[in-house]
Amino acid sequence: MSTQHDPAVITAVLMAAEGAVNRALELDPASARDLADLSGTVLAIECVAPALEIFAVVESEGRLYLASYCEQPCSVRVRGGLSDFLALTTAEDPAVTLINSDLEIIGNSAPLIALQTLVTNMQPDWEAPLVEVLGDVAGHQLANLLKQIFRWGQSSRKSLRRQLSEFILEEGRLSPPAAELEHFYQEIDALVLKADRLESRLKRLAQRLDAQTS
Amino acid sequence: MTDKTNTPSGETTDFGFETVDKSQKEGLVRGVFDSVASRYDLMNDLMSAGIHRLWKRFTVELSAVRPGQTVLDIAGGTGDLAAKFSRLVGDDGKVILADINDSMLKVGRDRLLDSGAVGNLHMVQCDAQMLPFPDASVDCITIAFGLRNVTDKDMALRSMERILKPGGRLLVLEFSKPTNPMLEKIYDTYSFRILPMMGQLIANDSESYRYLAESIRKHPDQDTLLDMMEDAGLVNCEYHNMTGGIVAVHRGIKA
Repeated sequence: MSTQHDPAVITAVLMAAEGAVNRALELDPASARDLADLSGTVLAIECVAPALEIFAVVESEGRLYLASYCEQPCSVRVRGGLSDFLALTTAEDPAVTLINSDLEIIGNSAPLIALQTLVTNMQPDWEAPLVEVLGDVAGHQLANLLKQIFRWGQSSRKSLRRQLSEFILEEGRLSPPAAELEHFYQEIDALVLKADRLESRLKRLAQRLDAQTS
Repeated sequence: MTDKTNTPSGETTDFGFETVDKSQKEGLVRGVFDSVASRYDLMNDLMSAGIHRLWKRFTVELSAVRPGQTVLDIAGGTGDLAAKFSRLVGDDGKVILADINDSMLKVGRDRLLDSGAVGNLHMVQCDAQMLPFPDASVDCITIAFGLRNVTDKDMALRSMERILKPGGRLLVLEFSKPTNPMLEKIYDTYSFRILPMMGQLIANDSESYRYLAESIRKHPDQDTLLDMMEDAGLVNCEYHNMTGGIVAVHRGIKA
């Protein structure tokens, strides 16, 4: 027998992800303490297409262990397709996406929400490792520069998204505005109701005609 | 690196591509590992490009070892699996690092002590064919890259089955047969040309590394080893190929 995916490849990806997460936790001791409170939690992430299962085990030291095989009972299992998980990772509000998506949550959702909140509120001190390597002055300067680039990237992304939306709606008239679309949907709903009423009236008339002829 | 002083038994076995008397193999293998012990970890990292850590990590996951359990790591060498198990079994558990070769065991002991893995760790120099432990006394046994060096593999598997508790599991991590013919060709070139060269450059010993490559080819393939485990009395046996079948981890349960 052999497994569908090469365990060595999955393990390599998980080890890299685990290393990055735990490094970020080292740079944010408050989040690491919060994570330690969830010690013993086992989160199973089950992707049905492609078939893949990974486990995130919270360890007592406030670290995360990612595994491709785990026999411990799961606190919570999240099941769904790859596209659902990708939508979750790129969502602005993961909690809302999690509830409204096709992802299936099995078990206690409390630790899942706690983990999600912890990830959202994480604020690693990226300056610390730079200062460690480059010294106080150069490390601080580089950290500031990187922060500025990061902020510029964030604001550019938001600005681009807004401008693109304006162009599509206002300039190019490529798509109707949300309010216009909502009004259109309401009109369709009203038309559907009217058609239903007309249909039932016709049925009643037909029944009355049948009764008179017979 | 050779030791041919034992009395011939008349029965033969393989030592790499050579056929030797069964009584000689143990000494010959000891010679190989005495030679490579001091640089074993470095060579493992270089030879596998660090991938051996992934293989071992997945093996530890498959073991599903819990706190309080007793784990025996046979041919544990420099103790990397034992260090992981020591953390998993906790203070109430026990990990026994066993190896037939005292040079490897010394390197493993020093490394584990230096890393602070003490308290629940024990070292035993013993032969995998005649394990000096009571029946049904161990929850999990692992043997990583060690079975192919054992003279009588069937005898070793039976010995392991004997000391496992019912429900206990045996994990055999070992080089195996690549599933892709193209990969097999590349792997052969690497093993017989590049590996001995690396051995010469780093450990100043190309012969030992040539033996390592040869012993891998003489080792039973995935399905044969699976049958051997079932013959030894283990049940629910299965294996997982890793890195295209270059390595496979077999798991069997004591009934």
